[in-house]
Order: sequence, then C-alpha cells, then structure tokens
Amino acid sequence: MKQNQKKAWLFLAPILILVTVFSIWPIIRAFIMSFKGGPIINMQYNGLANYQYIFSDPDFWHAIANTAIYAFVTVPVALIISIALAWFVFSKIKHKTFFETMFFMPYVTSTIAIGIVFRYILNGKYGLLDYLLRAIHLPAPDWLDDPSMSIISLIMFGVWASLAFNIVILMGALRNIDPNYYVLADMYGASEMEKFWRITLPQLVPTITFLLTVNLIGAFKIYTQVYALFNGAAGQANSAMTAVFYIYNKFQVVNTPGVAMAATVVLFFIILLATFIQRKITKKVNS
Amino acid sequence: MENKKFIEVKDLQKTYDNGHQAIKSVSFSVNKGDLVCLLGPSGCGKTTTLNMIAGLLAPTGGDILVEGKSMIHVEPKDRNIGYVFQNYALYPHMTVLQNVMFPLTVGKGKKSKNEAKKIAKRYMQLTHIEELADQKPGKLSGGQQQRVAIARALVQEPKILLMDEPLSNLDARLRLKIREEIRALVKEVGITTLFVTHDQEEALSIGDRIILFNEGTVQQNDTGDNLYLEPVNQFAANFIGNPVIDNFKVKVENDYVVGKGFKFAITDLKNERFKKTLQEGQTYTLSVRPENLLPLMTEVKIENDDHYLEADIEDIELIGRERVLKFTNDGNSERSLINLEHQVKRGDHLTFSFKLKRVYIFDDNGERVY
Amino acid sequence: MKKKKFSWGMVVIYLFIAIFAIITVFPFIYMILGGLMSYEETTTIPPTLIPHHFNWDNFRQVFAQAPFARYFLNTFITASVSTLVTLFTSILGAFAMVYLKFRGKGFIQLILLSLLMVPAEAIIFTNYTTIMDMGLLNTYLGLVLPFLVSIFYMYYLQSYFTAISPTIYKAAKIDGASDWEFIWKILVPMSKGGLMTVGLLSFIAGWNSFLWPLLVTNEDSMRLLNNGLTAFTTDAGAQTQLQLAAATLTVLPILVIYFIFRKQIINGVVRNDLKA
Repeated sequence: MKQNQKKAWLFLAPILILVTVFSIWPIIRAFIMSFKGGPIINMQYNGLANYQYIFSDPDFWHAIANTAIYAFVTVPVALIISIALAWFVFSKIKHKTFFETMFFMPYVTSTIAIGIVFRYILNGKYGLLDYLLRAIHLPAPDWLDDPSMSIISLIMFGVWASLAFNIVILMGALRNIDPNYYVLADMYGASEMEKFWRITLPQLVPTITFLLTVNLIGAFKIYTQVYALFNGAAGQANSAMTAVFYIYNKFQVVNTPGVAMAATVVLFFIILLATFIQRKITKKVNS
Repeated sequence: MENKKFIEVKDLQKTYDNGHQAIKSVSFSVNKGDLVCLLGPSGCGKTTTLNMIAGLLAPTGGDILVEGKSMIHVEPKDRNIGYVFQNYALYPHMTVLQNVMFPLTVGKGKKSKNEAKKIAKRYMQLTHIEELADQKPGKLSGGQQQRVAIARALVQEPKILLMDEPLSNLDARLRLKIREEIRALVKEVGITTLFVTHDQEEALSIGDRIILFNEGTVQQNDTGDNLYLEPVNQFAANFIGNPVIDNFKVKVENDYVVGKGFKFAITDLKNERFKKTLQEGQTYTLSVRPENLLPLMTEVKIENDDHYLEADIEDIELIGRERVLKFTNDGNSERSLINLEHQVKRGDHLTFSFKLKRVYIFDDNGERVY
Repeated sequence: MKKKKFSWGMVVIYLFIAIFAIITVFPFIYMILGGLMSYEETTTIPPTLIPHHFNWDNFRQVFAQAPFARYFLNTFITASVSTLVTLFTSILGAFAMVYLKFRGKGFIQLILLSLLMVPAEAIIFTNYTTIMDMGLLNTYLGLVLPFLVSIFYMYYLQSYFTAISPTIYKAAKIDGASDWEFIWKILVPMSKGGLMTVGLLSFIAGWNSFLWPLLVTNEDSMRLLNNGLTAFTTDAGAQTQLQLAAATLTVLPILVIYFIFRKQIINGVVRNDLKA
C-alpha cells in the first residue's frame, strides 16, 4: 500500500467542506463582525466600538455576573449531590440499572418541555412547591415573577438537569474501580466512610475533574434553560439575563449583530480559557 | 530451469518514518511449488518481509519479482496471493461460507453468487469445514478458524500463499496436527507457500527450505538439514537446535586450539571443512551440539579423533525420552543430551567426548571458520 | 458474614436516594398527569395531583390549536436526515483517519480536535448569517446543513474503528475488496453497536434542538417541536393543562426510544466521556 494515499481526501471531503463552512469560517466571521456595526445586511467597520459598548454596558456585566453566579453555584452543588447519589446507589442498591435509568431521564428529554412543568410547579399562585412550603410554614416566594428569585429558580432547574449526566458518568467510573480494593479494605476492617474517603474518592478524582470542567463550560453557555423557565424572556426585568441570552438579544431582537459578536468573542475566550485550564489540570491529575 | 526463481526478492529494504530500520537488506528467491519457511526471532523482519511481498507495506528500497515481473507498484488485490493472518482476521459478522465466498464476491473479478458458492464449497471440502458453513467464526475452535482462513486464502486460486505465524494461536497438540495438514494441503494444491514462524521445530518439520532471519537480514537460506548440520554463522548455530548448541571459548596458541580443560592441534581438524584460516593468538568460539557432546558412560563409539573434557554435573533436566545434563565451562553453561536410560546424579564428575568433524568454529564476528 | 443491622445511617442514605429519585421523576409524572387535568384542576389550591377523570380531549385541543402534526413531521425529518447524513460522513471520515495513510493526517486530526473545543453557541449566530446569505431560512436544508457533520461523532467512531483488529482491513485488501466495499460490507456491519449509539445520540440531540431552529425558522409550517411548543405556550396563555399535554407529546417519543435503547445510550455516553 502506498505511503501517501491521496484518496483519503476524498473520504474526508464531506467533513472537511462542511467543517470549513460551518465551524471554521463562522469563528473567523464572528471576529470580523465584532469589528463592524450596523444591521446585518449592511455592516460597516467601526473599530473597537462594539467592545467599548459591551464593556460599558451594565446589562453585559449583569449577564456575565449572572452566568458566573449560576455556574459557580450550580456546578459544585450538582456535583456533590451526584457523587453522593452515585456512591449510595452503587454501594447500597441492588437494582443499580433501574436507578441509573431513572436518574438519566432528564438528559435525553427536551429542556423546553420540562421547563413547562417546572413553570407549573414553581408557579407563585397555584404551584405545588409553594403549596408544600406553606404547608410546613416556610416562606413561599414567587419563584418566577420575583426578580430576586430568578437566579435561584434557575439554579434549582440547572441542578435538577445536570444530575443525570454526572450520575451516569460517575457510575461508570465507580464500576471501573477494581473490586479487589474493597475486598482488601474489608479484610483490614475499614469502615464504610474510610472506604469512601480512602479508596473511592481518590479513584474518582480524574472523573470529578472532568465533570467539573465540562459542567462549568456547559454552565457558561446556559441559554435554553432560561428560555424554558421564563417562557422566552430572561426573567422579570431581565433578572436572569445570561451571556448567551444577551448575545441572542443583541443579535436577533435588537438587531445589533456587531455587538452580539463582540460579546461572543469575549465568551469564546472565557470558555477557551476554561478548557485550557481543564487540560492543564487533567494532565497534572493523570500524571 | 525457467521456474527456478518463481519469487525473487532483491535487496529489499524498509525503514519506518520514525527511523527504525526494520529490513536492512533482504534478498532471496523461492522455487515454484516450494513451501518455504521464514524463520527468526521476533522483530527480525520476517513478517515485515511477508507484508511487503503481499503489498500491505511499501518497501523503502529494492524489488520483488514474481515470474520476472516487478510487484512493487501492484495493489495487493492484483498480486494474486492468498494470505493467512496470525489472528485469522475472519469477518465476525459473516458465516463461514460467506467468509470463504467473500474474495469471490468483491472487486473487479466478481463472480456470480452461485458460482462463488460452488468454488467456496470446493475449498471448504478440501479443508474439511463443509459442515461449518452456516456458523459464525466466533463459535469455532481455533483449529476450525484456521481452516476457514486457509480456505478463504485459497479460494481465489492464487499463485502464492502467505502464512503469518498461522499456528501460534493454537495449543501445542493441535499445532502438530495442523502443521502436517497444512503441508499436505499446499502440496496437494501445488501452491508456492511462504510460511512465517518463530518456531524452529515447526520450520524444520514442514519447510522445503528455510530462510533464517535476524535483525533485518537473511542469515541463511537453506534446507532444514543443512541449516541444522552446517550453520553458516554463530547466529544460525545458536538459533537452531533444542537444547541450544554448546559454545566454548577457545584461543589459538602455538598451532593449538586451547579451551578450558581441553586442547587439540589445528592439524587434527579436517582440511576440507575450513572456510577461513585460524589466526594465531586470536580468540574463537568452538560450538558443538549437545547430542554430540556425550559422557563416556554412554554408547559412544570411541574413535581416534575424539577429544575429551571433564566436568561436574550441576543440574539435570528431563525432556521426554532424553536427559539434559548441565555444567559450566569457563563461565559458559553447557549441555549434554543423553538417553533417559543412563542414570546420572547431580554432582557426578564425568568425562565428555566430542568429535572434531562435528564441531564448528566461529570467529568473534560470528562468522564460520571451520 | 455480613449482618444486616438497622442503623440510622442507612435510613438517611435510603431517604436521600428516595428524595432525589422522586425529585428526578416527579416532573415527568406530573407533566403526564397535568396534561390530563381539567383547567380548574390545574389552578385549584391545594393543587391536584391526580385528575378526577382523564381529559384525553386536551390532546385533541392541542392538535386543533397548533399544527403539532406538522411539528412532529418537521422534527422527525430534520432529526433523521441529520442523523443519517452525519453517520455517513462520520463513517467515511473515521475510515480515512483510521485506515488510510496520507500526508497531513496529523494536521487534520489536530484541527478537528481543536474545533471540538469551540462552543456551539459561539458559532451558531454566524452560521445563521451564512444560512441567511444562502437564502435557506425557513427550509429543511437550512435546518440541517450545519448538522450534517459532527467532529464529535466522527471522533467517537474513530475510537470504535481503532478497536477493530487492523488485520481485518489487510485481509479485505488481499481478498480484493475496494475501500468502498470494505466500508459497507465489513466495517459497518462490524460496528453496528457504535453506529447505533451515535445514531441514537444524534437523533435525540436533533429532536431536542432548540436555539438553531429558533434562529433559522419563523414560519409556523417550518417550526420544530420545541419551537412550536414555546410558541404554543405563549398562545395558549394560562391553559396549563394544554401546555402540559403538548409537553407530554414532545417528550414521550424520546422517552420511549430511551427506555428501549437505554443500554446503548448510557453506555455510549459513558464510554465517550471517560475517554475524553
């Protein structure tokens, strides 16, 4: 067989063409558009005006702050609950697959559809959650219409939605731990807690680092959950405005694509930085 | 003698992209209808050579000729070869019949389904796997898979059959049986066969000729008898034979060959067996096969060119009908192969005899001198 | 020698699992039940859990008020087409990357792996501009075009193909098969499991897609389920029971697929991400 089989390019052609048009070109184009102003059909170069605009736009900072709060609360909370659930199910439950199947359901289902149910449950007037809270004499806030509650509601929805992926990945990692470790630990008389802290958790470290960063990157791109929970808006008075929602608004609603692209570039670099840090950490953890 | 050189490999070379020189220079030729074994330790380049003959790997130099025509730029499918892989490489999703038919149903020379089936059935009969036709390979034993792989390799009626360690995945007993079957089969079909193996016993038992490889070069291309009786260099002598050949350090001093505990005059050696002359003051290696280094207690016929050396037996190992006696001479461990009926104890002090017409002498470069 | 002893620790553990199991599953059950309630039942206090009688008529009303049949069709078409074509392009690409030797392979691999890190949200808006430039807004082609390749799935298949013994390809070459024949007669039948997983994950992603169809369609007849659903919830106003019925319609087909193929889906997700 030849050393340089040119026919390979034929097999790769569909991928390469589509990737160039819909993955590489849009990145370049986003950069270019971020230096242009005007409506989408007639864009003119305006230098750094878009960047100046977003950096002095309190809405942009609000969106970034919201996104950061959401990400840095949802991700650790969801991860801790996931680790506990995965470990309990793995070590204490007979029908592991049944529970795994159940916990994974949110991953495959439409966020929009589930958002409708959450809206119903969180409804301030006749929602189930407030009814239960009142029944045990706890404050029953208006989850959706009180701007100060928007981010908290969004975090609740986010935690609910991210357990699925975490649990399934953690269960997979738990299955990969050599059971002989536990047999040995039992022989030495280790307690359940000791086994968890001394064997399980150290073995899970690479998986946890992976989940932490994947979740963080995902959280930084949150959009659909907001749309679903607040029915197409970013909460009362834009109280749940997130970075991608900001971009969508500037692009589609306000029709200032240049500003949207400047925000995209900023978000892009934030995510790239997170990915880069993940690689560094993963390398360190694995070595 | 026009069929003398059916396959000709000329100065074949292969250097990988990472700079590893797998084949330095390999040249040999194969006669039509012969079963030739490519033998050597792992990493010696025998499989690489086979893959280049098959066209699965591009050489970085040299040429491969089949019936005088260069094959270098010919695609594997047009080289008219059959190939049996070490792991058989049967298609797991196809039945045995579909596997054997596969070569006939793809590519340019496609045959009709019925015709393909007929030819496939014929070769399945030849390899005794007709009754397995509808089974999937995963269900078959190693030996059965082996037969399917051979039937698939033969079904296109190739001119050359290449086999890469075809028996290494079988257990020892089955290996003996199948290797006889393979020899009988390729002789029946009359196909020229190259058979790669690292097992010298396998090579000696089935090969018409054996090409011995080491470190990317051909060491010796010979019949099994010659390879065993007349090794051309130290490597060939060491590689062939089980237990391995005994080596003694010797030095030429005042026209005598002197080893530890024995010495003999150069004039005692047979003139006609010399390849080179022995140099005064040089060190050499004297090699003798364990079955030719026998203690005097055995049925050795004493002849006047016998030479003797004494040793304490350190260990005794039983292999089948024979005993291996182990001792040390000048830091080298040596072996003697005797019949089971002779009783020897560890620590016995024995005198061994060897015949000069049965010894080899190699120089420090490993080249045969005597 | 294990003795089952009652302990408060165990009670806490089982309670913890039970609470989260309920929290996870309850929204699905409540969605189905709510979709069968009457309007009054959805707004009473205390809230209704189980409807007095099942109002199947809700579903008829959903179909009457919005073209859900059309949404289903659109979603099914786009999800299927993008899945099938993605499988096709990924198979070809992964084949070339695994089995062929060519100059520039390392470079291509590097580019593709770097693109894997680019967040979809960062390019989706410029892709909208591209589709608009092509005049493909409100068309099936516009809906699927950027999703006919997936570096992610191609990479997944690459790892799947690499696990197949390389001698199988050599054997096929000796047997006289062309690359095309090798792909369709050997590689694809041997990788059924991996292709199934990729197909399922891709179809589910297509079914649940939201932001892209929201951007490139604005005609009701071209909407996909999720966009239709959001439009419907706005139009249906306070008719919660109809919203829930519509949500049920959207989710059920995927849940059915999920329960049938959960093994392939879960294994696919786990295998993929442990390797990343």
